[in-house]
Amino acid sequence: MGILRNMTLRRSSATVAAIVVAWLFLWPVLWMVTSSIRPENQIFAYLNPLSVFSILPKSLTLQNFHLAFQAGVGRAVLNSVIVAAGTTVFGLLISVPAAFALAVLRFPLRRTAFVILFVSFSVPFDLVAIPLSSVFRNWHLANTYPGLILPGLASGFAILLLRQFFANVPPELSEAARVDGAGWIRIMIRIYTPLARPALIGAGLILFIFQWQEFLWPLLIADNPNMQLGPVALAGLQASGVTSTNFGAIFAGATLLTVIPAILLLIFQRSFVETVATSGSKG
Amino acid sequence: MPATTTRPAPKRAVAPPARRSPRRARRGETLTALLLLTPAGLALVLLRVYPMVYAVFQSFHKESLDVFQAPHWAGFANYRFLLFHSVTFWPSVGSTVLFVAIIVVIQTVLSLALAVLLTQRMFLPGLWRTLIFLPVTIPVAVSTLAWQIALRNDGIVNGFLAAVGLSQHNYFSTRGMTYFSFVVILSWIGMGFWMIVLIAGLKDIPHELREAAAIDGAGRMRTFFSVILPLLKRPLAFIAVALTITNFFTFVPEQVITAGGPNNSTDFLLYDIYQQAYQNANLNLASAELVLFTIIILVIVGLEFRFISPRER
Repeated sequence: MGILRNMTLRRSSATVAAIVVAWLFLWPVLWMVTSSIRPENQIFAYLNPLSVFSILPKSLTLQNFHLAFQAGVGRAVLNSVIVAAGTTVFGLLISVPAAFALAVLRFPLRRTAFVILFVSFSVPFDLVAIPLSSVFRNWHLANTYPGLILPGLASGFAILLLRQFFANVPPELSEAARVDGAGWIRIMIRIYTPLARPALIGAGLILFIFQWQEFLWPLLIADNPNMQLGPVALAGLQASGVTSTNFGAIFAGATLLTVIPAILLLIFQRSFVETVATSGSKG
Repeated sequence: MPATTTRPAPKRAVAPPARRSPRRARRGETLTALLLLTPAGLALVLLRVYPMVYAVFQSFHKESLDVFQAPHWAGFANYRFLLFHSVTFWPSVGSTVLFVAIIVVIQTVLSLALAVLLTQRMFLPGLWRTLIFLPVTIPVAVSTLAWQIALRNDGIVNGFLAAVGLSQHNYFSTRGMTYFSFVVILSWIGMGFWMIVLIAGLKDIPHELREAAAIDGAGRMRTFFSVILPLLKRPLAFIAVALTITNFFTFVPEQVITAGGPNNSTDFLLYDIYQQAYQNANLNLASAELVLFTIIILVIVGLEFRFISPRER
């Protein structure tokens, strides 16, 4: 009995500690979301002294979202969605064939090709962002969707993830198809890609979230207000200072930019966290 | 043809021509691989290799005063200027290395602490892990903006400190205070990711090892430091190197919050390069600084590898 009670006690105290830590990570998000739906003049009103209204709004309004859309944040968030979605689709179209070739096909220098691809795509993109922005300007790609999307397509992480999955598919499947006369590309499309659903979701989410995170690149390559991405537009709203900063509009935009990937993460939570965990420890 | 003789006769009869010769099949396989790798290879060359070569090229050139003239060869002039005459370069190197050293130590310990806590037996561990991971998905610039507002003098953090009777602060007033605030912001953003990576490392440790240590009479602390920690050496080394590289590229907080201040203490290298390229419109100097930046990172990461695995060489 004593041991059992002791174990429950330890389990409870670990849970309490985890709740405290989780709260430290959660409160800024909650505060950001609730600040977006309260009247602007109440954002700083209940902070000192601290009260329950510091986090919970006293009255609700969508005025901040209205103001944010007027300031062009809606357009910027839409741009972010277009760019992240485009990156996901085209990124997978590049990564799947590369991963398939590296995992399934036998050819000279296969291991070298993998190492070169993985290492160079794992170097943080920001290292080449500034010279590349100059190159892209010369190529007239500034303020265009291709200009925004292209650098995000190359993800070493996505290729690594898909390669690991493809390498674990039993080779008997492709051998049987080969005997029936199927070509390698057909085998990739018909057999390997449908099997790889979880890995495709994991790789797709990585491509989406990495692109969603970008700040330096969209800052460099898209200064036209119509082509700005969400985070850049939001930072501009804060720094503009033409009139006094509208914190309500900033919180509204911040909430939009937070909720979209959070919804994706909640839908695909399991495959994402697992894929990050397995590939991370092997990197 | 050993490959085909092992197959049953009827299947051999319908086998396509490509399968008849193993050599031909292998060449077909190589060509297919080449075809499938072409898009990724093109992306690699155009988006990674070419801009780096372009930066090196630019770093050895100087823009002509006449805009219609091609840039001319400048030798090491840009490098000489940065190393011996620039007033911002060395202070920027110093600030960056100092900040990276501080944040890497703190974040490595923090991610380990989080991973150890979240692998204890508890109720609903998945929920707490997801909540800690949540900030990873928020754009860095958005998190930074929210924290900037939270850390204002009249912000919620000072409100909380006042409520519990602690003194309030001005979070971006001095170098020390600003680094502290940056560490809080960047750790809040990224720790969930590294925690998940380390949890995977912790799960690879066989349970029997802990039990054996417990039977031998080792306490929980002793077990952790003598059994678990040595086994985590590889994932921890991976995380320390990854955190070093990641934090060298710190850009958002100084761009959004401090504009390199106070007193240039957050004029970190990537921000300084950005200023050089876009504020001063000097791509040549920016490129030279970028090359030096790359060399600094390579040297420091190389030192870390030597330090981490002296026996594995």
